[in-house]
Amino acid sequence: MVSLPKMNELGFFEIRLESIGGLGANLAGKMLAEAGVMGVGLNGVSFSSYGSEKKGSAVKAHIRFCDIDTNIRDTSPIERPHVVGVFHEQLAKTINVISGIYEDSTVLVNSTKSPDELKDKLKMIGGTLAVVDATGIALEEKNRVNMAMLGGLFRLCEFLDPEFMKGVIRKSLEKKYPQAVAPAIRTFERGYNEVQFKTFALPEGQSMPAFTRHDTPVLGYETQPIGGTITNPGNSILKDLSISRAGMMPHFADDKCIHCAACDNVCPDFCFVWEELPDKKGRSQMFLQGIDYQYCKGCLKCVQACPTEALSSAREEDGYAEQHRVPHRFALAQ
Amino acid sequence: MAIDVKKELGQAKVEQRMVYESGNEMAAYAAHQINYHIMGYFPISPSTEVAQFLDLMKTNGQHDIVLIPADGEHGSAGVCYGASTAGGRVFNATSANGYLYMLEQMPVQSGTRFPMVMNLVCRSVSGPLDIHGDHSDLYYALNTGWPILMCRDPQAVYDMNIMALKLAEDPEVRLPVIVASDGYFTSHQKRRVQTFAHREDVHKFVGEKPPAGFPMTLDRNNPITVGPYMNEPDYINNCYQQSMAMYRAGDVFDRIRKEYADLTGRDYPILDLYRMEDAEVAVFLMNSASEIIKDVVDQLREKGIKAGSIAPNMIRPFPAKQIAEALKNVKAITVGDRADSYGGHGGNMVNEIKAALFTHGNKDTLVISRIYGLGGKDFYAEDGHNLFQFAIDAAAKGYVEKPFDYYGHTPGDPAKAPKRVLEPMPYESLKTGLITVTPDEETGKLNVRIPPLRSLTKKPKRLAPGHGACPGCGIFSGLELFFKGIEGDIVALYHTGCAMVVTTGYPYSAHKATYIHNLFQNGAATLSGVVEMFWERKRRGELDEFGLKDDFTFVMITGDGGMDIGMGPAIGAALRNHKMIILEYDNEGYMNTGAQLSYSTPMGHRTSTSNVGKHQGGKTFHHKDTAQIMAATHIPYVFTGSEAFPQDLLKKAAKAQWYAQNEGMVYGKILITCPLNWLSEDQDGSNIVEAAVNSCFFPLYEVEHGVTTLTYNPEEKNKKIPLGDWLKMMGKTKHMGKPEYEAALKSFEGEVERRWNILKAKHENPYL
Repeated sequence: MVSLPKMNELGFFEIRLESIGGLGANLAGKMLAEAGVMGVGLNGVSFSSYGSEKKGSAVKAHIRFCDIDTNIRDTSPIERPHVVGVFHEQLAKTINVISGIYEDSTVLVNSTKSPDELKDKLKMIGGTLAVVDATGIALEEKNRVNMAMLGGLFRLCEFLDPEFMKGVIRKSLEKKYPQAVAPAIRTFERGYNEVQFKTFALPEGQSMPAFTRHDTPVLGYETQPIGGTITNPGNSILKDLSISRAGMMPHFADDKCIHCAACDNVCPDFCFVWEELPDKKGRSQMFLQGIDYQYCKGCLKCVQACPTEALSSAREEDGYAEQHRVPHRFALAQ
Repeated sequence: MAIDVKKELGQAKVEQRMVYESGNEMAAYAAHQINYHIMGYFPISPSTEVAQFLDLMKTNGQHDIVLIPADGEHGSAGVCYGASTAGGRVFNATSANGYLYMLEQMPVQSGTRFPMVMNLVCRSVSGPLDIHGDHSDLYYALNTGWPILMCRDPQAVYDMNIMALKLAEDPEVRLPVIVASDGYFTSHQKRRVQTFAHREDVHKFVGEKPPAGFPMTLDRNNPITVGPYMNEPDYINNCYQQSMAMYRAGDVFDRIRKEYADLTGRDYPILDLYRMEDAEVAVFLMNSASEIIKDVVDQLREKGIKAGSIAPNMIRPFPAKQIAEALKNVKAITVGDRADSYGGHGGNMVNEIKAALFTHGNKDTLVISRIYGLGGKDFYAEDGHNLFQFAIDAAAKGYVEKPFDYYGHTPGDPAKAPKRVLEPMPYESLKTGLITVTPDEETGKLNVRIPPLRSLTKKPKRLAPGHGACPGCGIFSGLELFFKGIEGDIVALYHTGCAMVVTTGYPYSAHKATYIHNLFQNGAATLSGVVEMFWERKRRGELDEFGLKDDFTFVMITGDGGMDIGMGPAIGAALRNHKMIILEYDNEGYMNTGAQLSYSTPMGHRTSTSNVGKHQGGKTFHHKDTAQIMAATHIPYVFTGSEAFPQDLLKKAAKAQWYAQNEGMVYGKILITCPLNWLSEDQDGSNIVEAAVNSCFFPLYEVEHGVTTLTYNPEEKNKKIPLGDWLKMMGKTKHMGKPEYEAALKSFEGEVERRWNILKAKHENPYL
């Protein structure tokens, strides 16, 4: 019988995974929970957040472990995690991924940055940062990010048995995709082995920030128009969807563009910015100015549609989108 | 119910097996062990997974249940009702608006006394669409005459599903039974669950076959008349019989649960009383929240407060006497209702509890009513403490300060009240004059001129960026390309579906022009109402003050799912020939609810309810030809289109607008990619739909005043490709190239070719 390293007042060790839909965090959460419940005989519960959002949108997975004799009654989402797994570093741009951590919590981030850089990015005051380049490992091993993250999470949950997990991976793949077993296990192992840790002590006199319940709305019964009617439609332009990009993005080369609008016809997210300008003969024409990366989810349909080499696909590098963004010129209400 | 595995195993007389599964998985698991004859179903979150799990198990050969994908919940209830009259065992699962859509059928089923079991995976019934868990659907069930069993966790979902069938079929009862669990909190949370290890033990408990000797419709030697025309004075007696049976169901359940406890060690007394023996203050909650409150009770007891909790395992029949008995010595109780009975000064449970106390002579217990957790608002231990505090305060004061209120609602910060973000689109920018449509008096057809696509980028998009669709979603490129062909203002109605959900996540909306949502069985009727109100108010001069420069173009946007469940109203609107456009984006499945098959899903394609495995190879019947169905209503204009052929789609959009403003109804179908559920690369969307057109699976054509024209013929352009070349591009159809699925592929190819040849013949002959 294993014992949990720490527990909250109800006897739970709690893990929250922060991701975007499509990276496999939901599945990783399920596998992690099963490894605790079926593998080492803990009691546990696991679930994910469900909403209107689709692939590419922010999602959470929640896992609670406790001793086999502890009753599981709580169905509320995890607000005070002992472990956080951040599958997508960019999430920190729009979401407080470390909300509610304790000063002895550990936050695992899929990143190539150093723990010190991440501490600033996550606005972390105290706690342990664990870093693993899960995307890099997945690309090298031609496997999935969630396998590498799962490896990292096992490292953080020493009460779990990595051998059990490898057995599950083997069993679930070997019949249908025997060739996929070795890369998946390698990815898992590398995730486990390549985690870098750094602990930041909570500075004296400071306390960990209080958490805000996730179900706190912006509007209320005194400010919400009756019937749920939205009286300021088009306000979706205020959203930043750049976190939906899972690694790739289109680049635009102005000099190669013939302004044919093939990209504009296929873009699901209306990212192409046009302007009416005189052409060489002085006639008014539409000219493509660039891409508004705030809304680009990196699907690359435009690259496929482009008949020239004006649009090409590239791995996203930090800061590129901000530098090269051509913002839409919306007619904002005064 | 929290499980103590060791204790439980010690008590079970028949072998049990532990699994780690969710509530929906357990409902499906119990159903597969029972091996029902028929399940009629229609997908709706959060209950959809039940049918999905059963389909997956069927694909693996684990049961024989005939799974029937109905055309809507009303249809699914009909399938189930019919099947139950025919004497076998019947199962269904639904939620929320789906339950209300079948509501009419519920008293029919109970009033004619045919047993079945339905899982109600509880979810909010709402105007602004909320898919999360509360009890507003459940409260509609209270008056339907179905006994209702309650499930606090996945273990209870499993156990109640097995007991429910035995209860329904009991000679003393003979009623359909609801098994109610909380959407997401229970349906989607995985827990350790004990199950019967062997199906035979389940059969021993429920009976291998349904009990004989009751009326059924398949006995030629005993013909019967089911559901006669019955007025007064007989009808009241039928109701009395039903009422008696319902009350007997309480006693029968009490007997069954004891037998079940004896076998398994898991007991479900009609009331789940926690530390109530000497309780002075109590909280009454149902299902998942009633578990959390037990932790709160423990914490209060540690502080010396005599707290207890009550939760029912059955609410029809209502355990009035047992509740009055349990509250005998309680000073104050807070009753939390997870749904309101607007205007009733409390939810249904609090009013029934008050009635129970009054009936059984308890005038002393103070009752506080709070509506909480609506639309799936989470219930934390913190909330449980607050609910107890109301009771503690009342007990101390000797009266209830505020008998009825909401709990967990928030006023909002006036500084953050919504303000308009975008100016309305200038009319002139939408009416570019770049597109012209003129009727050709000789041919009776329309001549359309469109400019190069480049110049149309000047026109503002009708949708704003910032919507939450998946990367590479084909819906929005398809819709905007269509809208580029529409001049002037539109009013759009979107059916429930991906396009609706991802563009209107409150408090955001990506619709720059006016937009309406209605549930996807009824959009065509709803937009008909808007259209006719427009014309009538215009005629009365009531719109003059708005300075309209032109008539609106009314467009209904639907997925292929909306054209399944909403087929009737769409045909109705077409037959009435309202001046509006129905534009269907067909992604070959119910993608918003998790990729279940639609009638438009082609033969052999993999979906979450047409899995691929040893015993099944994807969808078993051919795709619906919606364009031809709509053409048969003889509306002025029907078309198909694709973003892979932009000029073709633009011209059709322009024609569609002309017909919808001048003559009447237009229907158009665009095929669009769903990379997530077609298991294809995000970037390949346009190429895949292009291949669908070139394989002749999705021919581009129009039917103008009944005359069919192919607007693009891949054979003439030497672009035709084998069907298999298209199928190879998607993960959902990769298996179709394998020898074991050859029969399905051949059948699919034959059907595509047959339909293509018919279209070619129609193209040749204006009278076809």
